[in-house]
Parts: sequence; C-alpha cells; structure tokens
Amino acid sequence: MSGLAFQGVTKSFGAVRALKGVTFPVQPGEAHALVGENGAGKSTLMRVLAGIVRPDGGQLVWDGRRLELHSPRAALDQGIGMVYQEMLLFPNLSVSGNIFAGREVTGPGGRLREAEMRARTARLLGELHLAVSPDAEVASLSTAHHQLVQIARALAFECRILILDEPTTCLTDAETAHLFAILDRLQQRGVTLIYVSHKLDEVFRLCQRITVLRDGEHVGTFEAAKTTPREVVRSMVGRDIDPAARVPRSAPSDSPVVLAVDRLTRQPWFEDVTLAVRAGEIVGLFGLVGSGRSELLETLFGLYRADSGAVSFAGARVRFASPVQAIRTGLALVPEERHRQGLFFNLSVRDNLLLPAENASGAWRLDVRRERADSQRLVEQWRIKTPGVEAVPDRLSGGNQQKVVMAKWLRAAPRLLLLDEPTKGVDVGAKWEIHDLIRRQAEQGMGCLVVSSELPEMLALADRIVVLREGRVQGELPGAEADEESVMRLATAVRH
Amino acid sequence: MKARLRAVWKTRELSTLFVLALEVALFTWYLWPESGRGHPFFNLSNFVLILKYSALYGIAAIGAAMVIISGGVDLAPGAVMALAGVVTGQLFVVQGYSLPVGVTAGILAGLLSGILSAVLVVFVSLPPFIATLGVMGIARGIAFIITEGRFFDLSSRLPAGWKPFGLPADWLAPIVLIVLAAVFQYLMQRFQWGRAVFALGGNETAALFSGIRVGRVKASVYIIAALLASLSGVILVVIQGQGRADLATGYELDIIASAVVGGASLTGGRGSVVGAVLGTLIFGVLRNALPQIPGATFYDRLIVGVVVVVIVVVDQFIARKGA
Ligand SMILES: Nc1ncnc2c1ncn2[C@@H]1O[C@H](COP(=O)(O)OP(=O)(O)OP(=O)(O)O)[C@@H](O)[C@H]1O
Ligand SMILES: [Mg+2]
Repeated sequence: MSGLAFQGVTKSFGAVRALKGVTFPVQPGEAHALVGENGAGKSTLMRVLAGIVRPDGGQLVWDGRRLELHSPRAALDQGIGMVYQEMLLFPNLSVSGNIFAGREVTGPGGRLREAEMRARTARLLGELHLAVSPDAEVASLSTAHHQLVQIARALAFECRILILDEPTTCLTDAETAHLFAILDRLQQRGVTLIYVSHKLDEVFRLCQRITVLRDGEHVGTFEAAKTTPREVVRSMVGRDIDPAARVPRSAPSDSPVVLAVDRLTRQPWFEDVTLAVRAGEIVGLFGLVGSGRSELLETLFGLYRADSGAVSFAGARVRFASPVQAIRTGLALVPEERHRQGLFFNLSVRDNLLLPAENASGAWRLDVRRERADSQRLVEQWRIKTPGVEAVPDRLSGGNQQKVVMAKWLRAAPRLLLLDEPTKGVDVGAKWEIHDLIRRQAEQGMGCLVVSSELPEMLALADRIVVLREGRVQGELPGAEADEESVMRLATAVRH
Repeated sequence: MKARLRAVWKTRELSTLFVLALEVALFTWYLWPESGRGHPFFNLSNFVLILKYSALYGIAAIGAAMVIISGGVDLAPGAVMALAGVVTGQLFVVQGYSLPVGVTAGILAGLLSGILSAVLVVFVSLPPFIATLGVMGIARGIAFIITEGRFFDLSSRLPAGWKPFGLPADWLAPIVLIVLAAVFQYLMQRFQWGRAVFALGGNETAALFSGIRVGRVKASVYIIAALLASLSGVILVVIQGQGRADLATGYELDIIASAVVGGASLTGGRGSVVGAVLGTLIFGVLRNALPQIPGATFYDRLIVGVVVVVIVVVDQFIARKGA
C-alpha cells in the first residue's frame, strides 16, 4: 500500500488521553485536512509524525514501511517537514538564519554559505510576497511576518510530506492566497500535504479529503467534493451550528462614548487615526498585515507613546504611561500572540486566570481557597479543557490557551476591551462561544475594539467596521451592511 | 561596499572598542605626568603588561562568552584554571615530569571538568548555574587536595630566559589569546556549529524542532569553555612561575562580566567572542590604571562594579537608538 497510514496511534499525557488509537490513511500526493475541536488531538498526532512526540502505541507506515521517528531530526531526514502551531523562531537570528537553522547550507567543515542561503531566502520571501530583507532580525518583525517566516522555513526544503498546523491564524486573505499558490505547486510536484485548520473555507479550498478527530478519536474521513462545511462541523462538534451566521443585535447609537481617539499618530505605524467606541458597541478594526492595527491597540493600551493626537476615555483625556494605568482605568487588551504576550507558562491556569483581576484589586494577600473556586468556575463557564486549574497552560491545546487569555481579561470586568485576534486558533464551536461572550459583555455596557484578520469574523461580530490601510483610516462601514467586497475594497484600494 | 561599511559600523564589537578607547584616553589624560617625566600609563611596556594579564582572563572569557550565547552560564572557569595550573605544577615541579607532560595533564584535567559540566547540564538536566557551581567546588576542592595547601615554584625548574616556541614568555598569553579569539570568532560567525550555538540561545525548543542536535551542541560549549579555562590556568602558572590552589579565585565573575560588557546577553542568543576579549581588556586597563591614582586603592572594587553597570546600560541605550 502506498501513501501514509496512521495505525492505532495512542498517546497519553498523564491522565489525559490525547490520542486513543487513531487509524486512517493519507493518499500519496493529496492535500489532506485534519480538523476537530480544540484539544481533539490534531497537533499531538502531527507531532508524532514530526518526531517530536513519541506515541505510546501504534505505528506510522509510509509506502508499506514502518516509519522510525525517534527525533525531529529523524523526521526531517525522511522528508517530513512541519509548520508548527506555536511560534518557534529564533528572535536573535536573521530571517535567513531562521529559515536555515539546523539545516544550513555548508561547505567543507560546516562553513556556512551565507550568500547562497541569503539568495534562497530572498527567492522564497518573494514567492510568499513578503517584503522583508533576508538579513532582518526576526525579533524586529511583526507577528504575521513571524508566521510567514515560519512557513518559509518549512518550504525551504524539499520534503515528501509537509504538515501545516494552523499556518494562517494571523494571515489575511491575500497572504493566505500566496501561500496556497505555493502549496498547489508543491502538490503538483507530488508532495503530500497535511493541513490542520479551524478555517473550513480554507480546508475546502485546498484539500481533497478531510479527516475529523474528536476527543482523540478518528470520527471519519470525507471527500471534500462530496460533503459540506456544515456536515464537517456537525461531525466535529456533534451538533449543528452555522459558524458564519450573523447574530442580529441592536447596536447602541446613543450610549456614551467610552473611547474617543482623535488624530492619533505614531510613526511609522499609524497616522491621524480618529475613531470612537460607544459603551456596548463592538467596533471592528480591519486591515491587512502591516496596516498598523495591532500597534494601534498597543498604543491605546499604554505600551507605546503616541507622537501626537489625543485619546479620551469616558469623556476624560488620558495619557497612559504604562499598561498598569490603562488597566486601572478600565481597559483590557487580549494580545495577539498568546505565547509571548498572553500567558505565563510557569504559572498554573488558576494564576493565569486570576492575575489581572488580582492586580487591579490592589489586594496584598491572596486568598487561595477563593481563587481555586473562582478559577474552577471560570474553567466551567468558558468550557476550558484542562487537566485541572493547577495545570500549567503548556498542557492545553492552542484553542484552550486562547480561552484562558480571554477569560482572564473579561474577569477583570473592563469598560473597554481591546481584542487582537480573539479567536486565533479557536475551533468553530468555541469561536461561536467566544463571540457570544463578547456580545453578552457588550450588552452589559462594555465597549469593544476588535482586530481580526478574519473577515467573516469581523462581519459576524462587529457593529461597525473601521478599515485601516498603511496606518490610515480609510473609512467606516456599518456592520450589518458591510460585506467582504466592500471591506476589502477599502483595505486594498490604491492610494492616490 | 557601502553596505559592508555600514554593517561594520553597526557591529556590537565596535562600540566595545569605543568604550575601551575612551577609557584609555581618560586615564591617559588623568595620569598625565608633570613635564619631563615618562607617562606612567601610556607607554608600551605598560600596555604589554596589561595585555599579558588580560590575556589570561581573555582566553577563559572566550569560552564564557560562548556558554552565555548558548543560553547557559559557566561558574567554573576560575576553579578550572586553578585545577589545571595545580596539576601542571604538581607533575612538573613535585613529581619531576617534563613540562609538556605537566601541561597535557593540566589540560586533561580541564577536559574532565568540562565533561562533568556537560553531563550534568545535558544528561542530568541541571540548570547550568547549579551544575557549574558544583563543578566549581569540585575542581577547586581537588586542587586543594592535590597541593595540600602548599605553594610550588615552577620558575626554579624553568631555564633562565626560557623562550617557549622562540618567544619571550610574556608574549605567550597574548599570542594564544589572539589566535584563539580569531579562530572562535570565525567558528561562531561562519560555521554551522556557531550558528547552532546562537540558535540554541535564542530558542531551545525551536532549535530542537529544527533538528539541531541540542545536547551535542550544548555539551560542546561547556567542554570547550573548560578546555580554554584550563589552558589559561596552565599559562598562568607558567608565566607567573608559581602556583597554588587558591589561584584565580573569584575570576569566574570577572570573566562573566567581561563577556557581558563585550555584548553577551545573559538571556542567551547574543554576544561575540571578540567582544568578550575587548571586555577583558576594559577590565585589564581599569585594574592597571586605578592603583596608579593616589587614594583610589580602596575604591577600585566599587569603580569596577559601577563600570559594569554603566557600560551595559549605555550599550542598551545605543542599541535601542541604533535599531
Ligand atoms: N505536553 C502536554 N502535556 C499534557 N497534555 C497535553 C500536552 N500536549 C497536549 N496535551 C493535551 O492533549 C490534548 C490534545 O491536544 P492537541 O494540542 O493535540 O489538540 P489540538 O487538536 O491541536 O487542539 P487546537 O485546535 O486547540 O490546537 C489536549 O487535551 C491537551 O490538553
Ligand atoms: Mg493544535
């Protein structure tokens, strides 16, 4: 039998049974999607294939031969490449240094052929339409660029199997399209693709077959041509939801303005930004990568100082010198990169959940018993899949980590919530829940400014959409009337 | 060409070099003699002296810088210097072996300490701070056991006017330093191994996932650092002509400080070999010039401490502006 086969793969982490005997084949040369709820075991299964996780039982077979995958190195040597869900980069190295890390092009004695690596990097960046220099230090790049560099790293080498674990979480449609063009070419060359994603539209665009995992078990494999997103979602979550549906809601038009931004400028990120958020209103901030959207949120949150312009909060002029002041005043920011900015991986889920609220309360002593009860309640309310409140977030799947970040900020009961990619890496069901929670908070008077690269999310959630391009506001659309085309036209229009 | 020049201008080593030049200028000005007398600081023989003593730290600092770049830290170099020096002295002076045998044994002792650090860090997964703290105690302890607290005199067994490899003995350390600095700078910048060390310090998980042999690279760094420390220990006893077990006590912190002043980041991933060597020169100049300032004797520790902080702060400032 040719192709790749997972045969009875099992893996437990302590009491958590992440994979319970997964068996399914992947045809050679196909693009195979792997979908499932957060914590279903997708990443774990892929990490087995990439030689990072050793399975407890079962085996992987390629063209009838058992694959020996005892280390990442071994997997790479057998032509298995992977784009990881987590950002795994070397901030201190250049882009080309990152792409070739561990597999440098070398001459005798391991001498680096820098020029060749730089040229290959430049070519690859060109294919991805990524306008950064191969020599740029990765620490200086934006999150979306990090993701593209990470993708470039996997594309730089010929491989037989390429695994992509949620590679497009912070990419916009244009960048995703570039990536897909490359993936199509790879497929034509006979590379087998395994694509993990929560974005079903992408899955249907790219893949021929779709495998659904639920709770570590193989639920089914569908032919993309013979199924519908709806059916896939149903087998993923076991109930019927329509992810793209817009929940009708009456946006307040006369409530007081919580946040007023007046001609705010911070070079080189954004310029002359003017916008307002009312109490109870959900305002979407849409723009392509590099449009200054995250930086705008971070500046509002007191992480950076604006060059000029004014910000008022609930009618009073504010100038936050630090996030502490912003938090005390009633702001909260759910940051874009949970690994770097959102979570403490040395602390328990409980501590992570309660930290902002604790800080804001200014109390000296921590009441552990109450904390435990509180965090337990949050875990249930948000349906966070975790071995327990004392587990470290490292143990949680990506989507569940995101829920922890969301939950911790909403617990602090902010008056204005700044959200940067709030449902990044979150499954369809959980995304729906998160949207619902945001809406419910808004109903209670919280203002909300959301950045998302997912246009459907914007359209489903926002009362009003402000479009940024190259750091300038291009226009504003009422959420109920906007559609993909009108927003994209503003976001990409040529400047005169 | 222009881009090249700009790249040179941006290198971190240049700002360390600038600090060094500034320091030399400052002391030259401050210690300017009354007319007619020779300058007590700015003269060739004094510079050779500075170079000779700094080089001893410098050889070990090359290793320390590489350990720090890999994301670790090595507290053992001072003790390893002592152990190597003492082993050499013991075999050469007390047991009557030839000098090459003594030197080889000294360096072998360094190799063993390095292997021990590497095993503790890589296989036992101890934090480097703890592992090398242990090795520091063990190496120093063995040095004391070997000498039983005695002091030995090599100079009497070395021929008068002894010239190793046809060079004056004073030049031994500086030349070894320059050669090693060049070799390791080149290895770190231009070779796969060096890139792996940087990658390891930048993000260990990513390094593992990228197929870098993390354990091997890590081990190599500790072993090389110990070898370099033992080499400088051996050279120290040979050029000083004497040795005892408390040799190089407290050097480890000076060595780490030199690497840091030269641009190494204790969080790993950044730094350079040449920078660390320049760092040792900065300290060498301080230690040489301060005692010449009347009344400064009791202040020199204080000044050294302040200088470390100031240099690192200024450097961060420059780095942020330059970015
Ligand atoms: N290193 C680990 N230690 C303990 N538990 C783990 C570890 N890695 C994963 N798990 C658990 O295994 C289960 C499967 O996780 P996995 O990351 O494979 O999910 P996923 O399908 O990729 O989810 P997501 O869509 O959120 O990324 C989860 O319950 C998770 O908590
Ligand atoms: Mg995952």
